[in-house]
Amino acid sequence: MNIRPVVSALLRNRVGAILVALEVAIALAVLVNAAFIVGQRIAKIAEPTGLDQQDMFAIAMAGTTTDFDAQSSARDDIAYLRSMHGVVSAAPAGTIPLTGDGSNGELYLEPDQRGGSAVGSWLATDEQGLRTLGATLIAGRNFRASEIRHLARGDIDQAVPEVIVTQSMAHALFPGRNALGQVVYDRQNRPITIIGIVRDFVGQVGFGSPPYNVVILPQVPGAYGSYFCLVRTEPGRAEAILHLAERHLAASNATRVIFFAHTLDYYKAQLDSDDRNMAIFLVVVTALILAITCLGIFGLTTFNVSTRTKQIGTMRAVGARKRDVVSHFLLENAIIVGLGVLIGCTLALGVGYWLSMEYGLPRLDLYFLAIGVLILAVIGQLAAWQPARRAASVPPSVATRTV
Amino acid sequence: MRIGYYLRLALKSLARTPGLTGLMMCAIGLGIAACIVMLTIYHAMSGNPIWWKNNVLYAVTMDSWSPGEPFDSDRPTLPPPQLNYRDATYLFQSTLAKRKAIMYPIKGVVSGAPDQRHPAPVLTRATTADFFAMFDVPFEYGGAWDAAADRTPGPVVVISREENDRLFGGADSVGRTILWNGHPFRIVGVMGGWWPKPRFYDVINGAFDKPEDVYVPFGWGPALQQLPVGMVACWSDESRSTYTAFLGSECNWIQMWVELPNAASRNRMLALMNAYAVSQRKSGRFQRPLNNRLTRVGEWLTEQGVVTNDSRLLLRLAFAFLAVSLINTAGILLAKFLRAAPTAGVRRALGATRAQIFLQHLIEVAALSLAGSALGLALGALGLRAMHWLYAINTVDNSGYQELTHFDPAGLAWALALAFLSTFAAGLYPAWRIGRMPPASYLKSQ
Repeated sequence: MNIRPVVSALLRNRVGAILVALEVAIALAVLVNAAFIVGQRIAKIAEPTGLDQQDMFAIAMAGTTTDFDAQSSARDDIAYLRSMHGVVSAAPAGTIPLTGDGSNGELYLEPDQRGGSAVGSWLATDEQGLRTLGATLIAGRNFRASEIRHLARGDIDQAVPEVIVTQSMAHALFPGRNALGQVVYDRQNRPITIIGIVRDFVGQVGFGSPPYNVVILPQVPGAYGSYFCLVRTEPGRAEAILHLAERHLAASNATRVIFFAHTLDYYKAQLDSDDRNMAIFLVVVTALILAITCLGIFGLTTFNVSTRTKQIGTMRAVGARKRDVVSHFLLENAIIVGLGVLIGCTLALGVGYWLSMEYGLPRLDLYFLAIGVLILAVIGQLAAWQPARRAASVPPSVATRTV
Repeated sequence: MRIGYYLRLALKSLARTPGLTGLMMCAIGLGIAACIVMLTIYHAMSGNPIWWKNNVLYAVTMDSWSPGEPFDSDRPTLPPPQLNYRDATYLFQSTLAKRKAIMYPIKGVVSGAPDQRHPAPVLTRATTADFFAMFDVPFEYGGAWDAAADRTPGPVVVISREENDRLFGGADSVGRTILWNGHPFRIVGVMGGWWPKPRFYDVINGAFDKPEDVYVPFGWGPALQQLPVGMVACWSDESRSTYTAFLGSECNWIQMWVELPNAASRNRMLALMNAYAVSQRKSGRFQRPLNNRLTRVGEWLTEQGVVTNDSRLLLRLAFAFLAVSLINTAGILLAKFLRAAPTAGVRRALGATRAQIFLQHLIEVAALSLAGSALGLALGALGLRAMHWLYAINTVDNSGYQELTHFDPAGLAWALALAFLSTFAAGLYPAWRIGRMPPASYLKSQ
């Protein structure tokens, strides 16, 4: 295959060729980095929550008056929820998992905050809490009903002598050792025994505690004049039971109102929404850029073919076969696309590096670069395939026409 | 001038290759639409909704945090964004600022309005009288309470227009009484429509949330022993088991803003804050290095990270998209014009100057730019609607992300300019290039 005529044809329209190469380069850089970011976001969304959020919902209650008795109200509400048909378990809670509603704090290995510590979300609940959360005990025991403390209004910060923690929290406090039975301290130097360890689940998010670090406290909240009800239902019935419960509870007690009520699925969707939107935008824009680049190559090649019919006819007249004409144009396109891919690789790596510096993303995986190069090379050539084939049908007699 | 003639030529030329013209228009349209969508959102997110007061409004922060670690390990130079009760009430007593406001969000339940069947939960902001004048909050009826009500605190309340619609059907409810958390409160003012984006006065508890529906004087939280519902950050090891202990503790939950008209008053305020911090050191507080600040709204929004990295990234992506579209257009235009070189050659031979050839092709570029821009604006408007829908199904009820997708007239003018000028620039080189062609080579029959 003689490359000279191809190169000289290209050189006659340098700027045009460079523009296409630039397009391909930018398309490659965008494709590679966008795919990388989308991959990360999808991975983030797919991280397990440790909860069956599709079968759980939460209702937020608050008193209407200053002398609201949160404890008896919570008792009645939870009793009603537990009696509902289709409810597996219900418990009061001080934190709604997968949301920012709640609190977090630190546990210390030694008093006066000497030694190590770990931050975790605080989830106050009663003896049915673990069952409601679907949290599996892997060591130790659950709370007994007698151990649950009931906070009255004004009891903002009461001591709890024992807690249950998630695996991650246990590991953060006692890496490599068994945390069961160990004594830790809160900020007020009160000793706390770890009586149980459960499998990881996500607690409060967005306020600085690692998501799987959860400390479960035997407490029914009420100090704020408000509390949450966490409910676990039979599979597939969460929405329906939530509506029923809301309707009944809204009218059952005039001293308190429902502030909001949502399924945990809803909260998970909230958490994922930023990442999901980002992934959607990236995919859409990348697809559009690729489409425009390919259409551009297609359009330009078609145009070039129609402009150079004389040249093609001459080629055929002096003995080139149809498939030589096709190869000529494909080779011309391949050089341009190849040039674009080359520039694009540098650009992609540069952008990837800059992204990792600017946004703290991990460094670009070269695997993505390789796939990106392959994709762009293939579709770049495919885009020129049809016009090249059309070029082959130019008859040799065109060479001898003077117009 | 032969503009009309050139325009006819341009339209004929564009119509001669409908596929390529369509491709160029679509590419430009999509590229511009992407930029418009991302720019609108980015502009809304990063804009300063009270820009006309940027030089006089200041967020007051003091670093009374734990000596062992900074408040935010990701941003270790920043003091905590909120103050504690002791420091906030002390600073509030000073008369140095022209206007001052301390505030926190609190849960409330409203009842007792006519036709109200059930008590309604409302997010409430407990603040001081100057809040409304300071932030230029519009009023439909009545106004803010006076400073005396701040002290007692008086049983007065300001409600939003939406709340007034819900409770009183939009009528003038000034002077009427409603029950807030079971206590009677007199309505002194009904706000007009107000939704600054972002909610600059409280970016900690939902930067794009709708402003609260009910406002009560600051002292009602302590008076009813009710805890705030915003972020409460505590560091010390003292006991907080009673409400009084909570008020006296090192828990930060109050935001403070001041209006200081000039540099002199600003310096005096800062000096007061520093003197206070130093004097508190005697009792063991403020053990961290002195880091008291007065921060303007613009910087505050940046420091608190209101504009996300994601939106910045998407903005840059949109520009990359536009770049691809423009390069695409330039390439196609170049090919088209060069193919028409023989015609241009004939025109030159007949006496047209280079400038006239350039102008002729520039008109074609302009026509394409206009068409592409128009398409881009239409697609951009569609895109914003799609974003609005996407945000609406994805975010919490009172979050205001969907409000960011409104296209304002200034934005429209700006977008038009961007669209037209960028497309025009893309066509400049091809038009100039065709003007430079020597006519002789194209007049030969081969």
